[in-house]
Amino acid sequence: MAGMILFYALGALLLLSAALVVTVKNIFHAALYLALALFAVAAIYVMLGAYFLAAIQVLVYIGAVVVLAIFVINLTRTVTGAPVTLSRRWVIPAALVSALTACLIVIALLRSTDLSGPPQPAAADTARIGRDLLGQWVLPFELVSVLLLSSLIAAIAIVGKDREEER
Amino acid sequence: MTVSLTHYLVLAAILFCLGIYGAVTRKNAIGILMSLELVFNAVNINFVAAARWQTGGGSPGQLFALFVIAAAAAESVLGLAIILAIYRRRVIVNADEMDLMKN
Repeated sequence: MAGMILFYALGALLLLSAALVVTVKNIFHAALYLALALFAVAAIYVMLGAYFLAAIQVLVYIGAVVVLAIFVINLTRTVTGAPVTLSRRWVIPAALVSALTACLIVIALLRSTDLSGPPQPAAADTARIGRDLLGQWVLPFELVSVLLLSSLIAAIAIVGKDREEER
Repeated sequence: MTVSLTHYLVLAAILFCLGIYGAVTRKNAIGILMSLELVFNAVNINFVAAARWQTGGGSPGQLFALFVIAAAAAESVLGLAIILAIYRRRVIVNADEMDLMKN
């Protein structure tokens, strides 16, 4: 019962902050609400027993991605000074499509009966994740490192290009 | 009554659709990227919840979520770099004004 109350509280916090991310006018406030939503997702990972993933979520998403987004917002906002607005044309079709998609998925989930069982006694702990990551899943692990290195080089190449030309 | 797998999947479905709504309605390119992060997180909740209900504890679900986080970080870095490069060249941040490759 306590788990149920905690789930509904975290779910309400997550959905409320996510709705504020996509609707609030000021893009800087949207980034702060995004940090709150990502923190709620990390709390849901803790509820599911995925402690390592919760730590990674806080470190990578809130610590790196949101901070990077706030940096870029501040770098691009100062000169234009224009208010960030939603494109009004697409609000009604977009709301309709996303609401209908949500209804479709929720109805399909509620009609499938074999999902209401109890969870497994324990989730995979950090030691098991580490062993599997360097054992069975070592090839995707190395591919991810190549992906991160290439995206780092590409980001430097894209942003640093103009400065080279000015010299 | 305990929290079942359906609860997590419904939560992730609503979060996914909120992210799609944001990606369609936002004009600002950074706003579109932030909405996509919500979509990735909905997928990750699905992965981790399904792993919890899988027989034998299920580390692959958590590992897939880890790979999604890494790919999302790379995507976010490249997207923000492109936005910054376009902003330096032409002072725009709105996605519907980025028509450099149109003609």
